Amino acid sequence: MAPVTEYFIFGEALVLGLSSGPACLASCGPVLVPSLLAERAGVRRGTRYLSTFLGARFLGYLLFAAVAWELGVLVALPPALRLSVVGVIHVLLAGVLLWYAYSVGHACARSCGSELVTIGAVRKRGISGPAALGFLTGLSLCPPFVIASVRAAELRSAVAALLFFAVFFVGTSVWFVPFISLGCVRRSQAVTTVARMAMVLIACFYLCLGLAMLMGRNVYGH
Amino acid sequence: MKIQAKLGYTAAGLTVLAAVLVPFLLYGLFTKGFAALGLHVDEMYSGGPKVRTIKTAAYSIVIHRPVSPHMLQSEKPFVQLDWKPVSALAGHVSDVVDVDGDGQPDIRVSFDVPKDPKTPLRVNVEALNPHYEAMRNVGKERFSKLIVRVDDAILVRVPLAQR
Amino acid sequence: MATEARILPHREIAARSIGRSVLLTLPIVLWSLLIFSNSFRQSNRSVQMAGIITAVFMIALFFMMMRTWSTYRWRRWFFVALGLLFPVGFIHTVMVMRGSMGIPMEEMIAGRTPFCFMPIPLLILPAALTRTVVFPGSILPGGGMSSSGIAAMVGLWLAITLVVGKGWCSYACFFGGIEEGMASVPKRAKLRKIDPRWRYGPWAVLLAMVLLSLALFEPAYCMWLCPFKAVSEYVAARNTLGMVQNGIFIALFAGLVVVLPLLTKKRTQCAFFCPFGAFQSIFNKTSVFDVKIDRTRCSPCVLCQNACPTMSLTKESIAQGETLMSCMKCGACVDVCPKHAAVWHIKGTEVAVKPERARLMLLYAAWGMAVMFGGTIIAQGLAAILHVFV
Repeated sequence: MAPVTEYFIFGEALVLGLSSGPACLASCGPVLVPSLLAERAGVRRGTRYLSTFLGARFLGYLLFAAVAWELGVLVALPPALRLSVVGVIHVLLAGVLLWYAYSVGHACARSCGSELVTIGAVRKRGISGPAALGFLTGLSLCPPFVIASVRAAELRSAVAALLFFAVFFVGTSVWFVPFISLGCVRRSQAVTTVARMAMVLIACFYLCLGLAMLMGRNVYGH
Repeated sequence: MKIQAKLGYTAAGLTVLAAVLVPFLLYGLFTKGFAALGLHVDEMYSGGPKVRTIKTAAYSIVIHRPVSPHMLQSEKPFVQLDWKPVSALAGHVSDVVDVDGDGQPDIRVSFDVPKDPKTPLRVNVEALNPHYEAMRNVGKERFSKLIVRVDDAILVRVPLAQR
Repeated sequence: MATEARILPHREIAARSIGRSVLLTLPIVLWSLLIFSNSFRQSNRSVQMAGIITAVFMIALFFMMMRTWSTYRWRRWFFVALGLLFPVGFIHTVMVMRGSMGIPMEEMIAGRTPFCFMPIPLLILPAALTRTVVFPGSILPGGGMSSSGIAAMVGLWLAITLVVGKGWCSYACFFGGIEEGMASVPKRAKLRKIDPRWRYGPWAVLLAMVLLSLALFEPAYCMWLCPFKAVSEYVAARNTLGMVQNGIFIALFAGLVVVLPLLTKKRTQCAFFCPFGAFQSIFNKTSVFDVKIDRTRCSPCVLCQNACPTMSLTKESIAQGETLMSCMKCGACVDVCPKHAAVWHIKGTEVAVKPERARLMLLYAAWGMAVMFGGTIIAQGLAAILHVFV
């Protein structure tokens, strides 16, 4: 492919990402906002959280894209299988959210410095909360991701498809930058408790949704 | 009396006055203000604006603009067609409809019109144009795929086939 | 804060004189006659009688508020009546119009789903971002059950909120009266120790529902969590999922509106769950009326804290002389305080200086709204009952 055409394709990826950003935000919002509020305050901490979340989300995107490309089913994933995959991810997401909400209460004290909340404390090395949430969110096949995958599947090579995803991802991530300002919100017991409770509620919702999908029912078909 | 107290009492007095004005002025004002914001009900519910009418001898078929769901809604894109008036429809309706107005038939819609308006409706749609999804014995499955009777019209929503 | 203790009349000993009480009630008499004049002129006997009974009821309650210097117990009569009669009137109308409490898809498509105030905070973000109201109603009057339209309910909510702020939850909400009635049944609470962190529940529900409503483009609270679907209407269950949703509504109603208020003597749905209440708390910042604690008189005996149906008083807030943002202006704390330290107050004025003036101004505004909105709903419910006999 001529280099000029390649630039056009990546330009298309960027524009697609920028235009899909609000939908990505709305899709990730229920997971991102309460977990970000549950973290300790500070713009630096907020930036760190967001970078970890987005980085893990990016890994989730790439992993799914690479596996799907390898299996040749990037576009042709049967609806029933797609429903089951999303159902499993929703159930896992619910579990991580619940565990995260629990872990916030046990987050290390000031002596831990700038550590983000970890979930699970197996031998004192837990998984980074935002990383787990970001990764699962990246795997959850939100509509903007599906649109990008349709376009990426038309490219000739796996590398080109992955690069397309990467540029698309950068376009969507621009919209997440303002969320750093949530780090400025003063963290009182009220804010942390509200965030944890909201995470539990949203986890219950994702659990119901995931279980329904695993039983073959697409809930939001009403 | 301090200025703050004066302001407080003034505000309280204005609040009481506002209470008196609610049914005569404020309620109407705010209602009209909200209506003037230009918001519209989600087309997933309303079916989208009307774009064309096909007139037959006895009744007409109103075609709405295709509705695309918002990105995160899992409803499919669809197009709504209205048959009205119901009183002019025969016991069985089977119409070939050119939905997009290009002169080519797109779908064949068939349904029975029961005498009892409370009887549930069922529709079959044959897709003559692959852009539309076929439907077989569909009732009220989802907002993007249904047949219902609303007042003196029968509404059919046909999903658009996705790539 | 008052610099020296001011002694108010001992209410337990001397009620306000009848003549003075009548004089103070006169504006409400005129207001009630104005609001119900339409129903007085109706040819339908049940509507006429309902209008008269309601007007007399509201006037009598206000008179008693004036005579006895207390607010809460008389306001509670109105609020419980509203909570009980709203479902009566609403369900009666629903059954007459469509024969079922379940909303069929036809009604949603036709834009005839009646709009209640609860989803207002959930619809703001989708409306702001896409100019779309994600509710199956009509902006303007749509006929059927949606005779007023979304704009009318929003207009009414805005107008009443401008006047009473979070007093909406004590003088306008047509759902809260059920649990207030339940909470008043037992003499003593069986469950007395409630973790104060549950007070943050409404904010958590609000945050979760706002985010989910934006993600799913639907009023998530109405679809999944509203306990009052059990006494109004709900999306007709067409499949297992619909049954699950209806099961959730019934379970939440039974738990939060019936059982927990009986056990705790608190308005548990309002205090620990209602996202609209959390949203309405913001308007306490704009309201000119509030409740203050005169620290020169306060013991503290914490009777006010125990009496508050929504846990809007804590030891820390009492020490600071104020209530929390969640205060509904119901008057329970003011009426229970033996030292008259908890007082009605107008922002900017001195605490405990002429608190009765503040109460009067609040009550004229709030009771005016109660007669206009709640009174009309009570009359409709009464008319539905009287229709059987008259």
